[in-house]
Amino acid sequence: MKLIFTIAWRNILRHKGKSLVIGVILFTGAFLMTVGNGVISGMAVGIEKNIVNGFMGDLVLISEAQKSDNILLNMMGSSIEPVTTYKQIKEILAAQPYVKRFLPVGKNLAMVLDESTSAPGYAYLLGVDFAEYRKMFPDSFTVIEGSYPAGGQRTLLIPTFARDEFYDFYNIWFLPEGGRVVKENLKKEALANLDTLIISTNVVMMGMTSGINTTTDIRFPVKGIIRYGALNQIFGHFCLVDIESYRECLGYFTAADMAAQVPKEEKKLLGLEGGDLDSLFGEGMIVSDVKKAPKIKVVALNEPKLAEDGVYNAVFIKLNDGEDYGRSLKKLNKALAGTGVRAVTWNKASGPMGGMALIIKSALFIFVMLLFCVAVIIIVNTLTMSALERSSEIGMMRAVGAHKTFIAGMFLGETAVLSAVFGGAGILAGIVAVRIIPLLQITTKNDMLQLLYGGNFFNPLLSLSDVGLTALQLLFVTVVAAMYPMRVAVHITPLDAISRD
Amino acid sequence: MNIIEIRGLKKNYPLGDTIVPALRGVDLEVAEGDFMSIIGPSGSGKTTLLNVIGCIDFATTGSVKVGGHEITSLNDRQITEIRLNKIGFIFQTFNLIPVLNVIENIEFPLLLMKRPAAEARKRADKLIEEVGLKEHAAHRPAELSGGQRQRVAIARALVTNPDIILADEPTANLDSVTGASILELMRRMNEIEKTTFIFSTHDANVLKYARRIVKIKDGLIEKEPALA
Repeated sequence: MKLIFTIAWRNILRHKGKSLVIGVILFTGAFLMTVGNGVISGMAVGIEKNIVNGFMGDLVLISEAQKSDNILLNMMGSSIEPVTTYKQIKEILAAQPYVKRFLPVGKNLAMVLDESTSAPGYAYLLGVDFAEYRKMFPDSFTVIEGSYPAGGQRTLLIPTFARDEFYDFYNIWFLPEGGRVVKENLKKEALANLDTLIISTNVVMMGMTSGINTTTDIRFPVKGIIRYGALNQIFGHFCLVDIESYRECLGYFTAADMAAQVPKEEKKLLGLEGGDLDSLFGEGMIVSDVKKAPKIKVVALNEPKLAEDGVYNAVFIKLNDGEDYGRSLKKLNKALAGTGVRAVTWNKASGPMGGMALIIKSALFIFVMLLFCVAVIIIVNTLTMSALERSSEIGMMRAVGAHKTFIAGMFLGETAVLSAVFGGAGILAGIVAVRIIPLLQITTKNDMLQLLYGGNFFNPLLSLSDVGLTALQLLFVTVVAAMYPMRVAVHITPLDAISRD
Repeated sequence: MNIIEIRGLKKNYPLGDTIVPALRGVDLEVAEGDFMSIIGPSGSGKTTLLNVIGCIDFATTGSVKVGGHEITSLNDRQITEIRLNKIGFIFQTFNLIPVLNVIENIEFPLLLMKRPAAEARKRADKLIEEVGLKEHAAHRPAELSGGQRQRVAIARALVTNPDIILADEPTANLDSVTGASILELMRRMNEIEKTTFIFSTHDANVLKYARRIVKIKDGLIEKEPALA
């Protein structure tokens, strides 16, 4: 082995030009792969951290009727199916030891209406109990104008990103009630038109859900302007609204509506089932003895009901630290059987965003493999030429007793040494680059870059498996690149060496 | 005792649509410890005969026994083992490994035999001294003269203590003085190591070193000429 590597190393030094060409390709491939893996791992970790801790938790419950698992930024804002069994779900969730916290939410698209424009704009609404939302995601955003709503307050929080979008669309700058224009927060174009800036402290929105024709336009007073701690360009599409206003806007049963519903058993008593109103005045309803008459519960229309009695679209769930997603998901779905909902993981519920890391990782993998394919072709070509040029030497080695395996090992050794030296250097340089990049504190406000960064900061990370993957790719290149030259070399006979002379 | 026994050896080479016979039925016996020269004009079949004996080329028909092994029926692995353990080669063009220095070139076959490095170096040191190149041990082949390279090739051929050393025109690329010194060295080694030497040449001056001369012409062995 030592002899093989001695010959391999000296041959590399002897053919410096060729070795350098191969080496540079291997170095570049290994460097790009390492840095790329670091960027993607950082992105995956960042997206997971920001979505799980700041937006939707580890698992999400959605209606069984919901076709797509993706409920975050779904195609054309298609509506999310309602979940009507939250009270039941709540009890089940509270009994699960692996569930840390949960939050029911309404989530759908709403039209933003304005008299001055004929074409409506759109915004995603996230209907929540503000107090509970804060407990679930305490650090997800900061209120930069106005204040955080008190519990039960009917109001709206607009993210800075959505406010900028509204301005672009309607030319209106939204402010919280009682607020004033904060110049530093103004969009550049709004600042330029400061004198003629149209200001509004409320937004009219109309819910959009398929299958419901009773959506209502609601005037929402703006309570505050918020900025999400990370991925503001993504999460900034979502305006936070109190759950009851959300339900009204979307045409769902509100908790108050539910309070006004006559329970089924009482409908039966009243003979209302089947919608036969005449039966109300039928003979069966006339009693001669008041004492024998059935007792009818009087339902107060204005009896206060809990918000959780109404309709939601999803339940965000945070698991205890270190809980396994797969196991928790299995247990939870089993426990929730019959409630009309199913649990999905955050990366499925967040649709393409959750799968973004995997998509980009696959794209990078393919790109680097293409680069390595080019490297393989160049290495194969160079080493084959080298094998043919060294026919006399190889033939002589065979003549003095070198087996074919020795010759094959010599070529594999040469490629392995090149891969180890240059590829290893590429990996090391990549690791150093990945360590240095976070120190530069690179930030972005660009949507796509935020996704790539996995947050506001460019913070690539490298795991051992990332480095291992690059090393495996290098190994693959080494073996594949050495195959053909090895084959050519082992077929050189001592006679070839003599004939060549 | 014969170290080589050849019976009815024929070797044909295809050349386009025609077959060129290089050896047309050679019968030859070589005794152990012999110092034999094969002579003949260019194209007579000297090199082909040496190549077949050295397991570098294969007979078309006939029987070739080297050290008691019938080499015509062996596979590549077995043939390679015979080349490694029983035969040493000295080529016309020296054929040293350019990236190894003199001492490494000499010990190379021993390392192929997986002998311990220290033992290989000891044997190589002994031979380098015998061929007079001790002071050039660390030099690469490119830094040596033709004569020095051929000395290295001789040392390398001897290092495994082979039964036979085959040398194909070992002096062809050397001036007459250097060529004579190489033949002197080969003869001395034959005497010291008791190794059988067979070398081909078409240089009449070389013949005085041989103890036995075999003349070959048109692929057939002629009657052995008398020694001078």
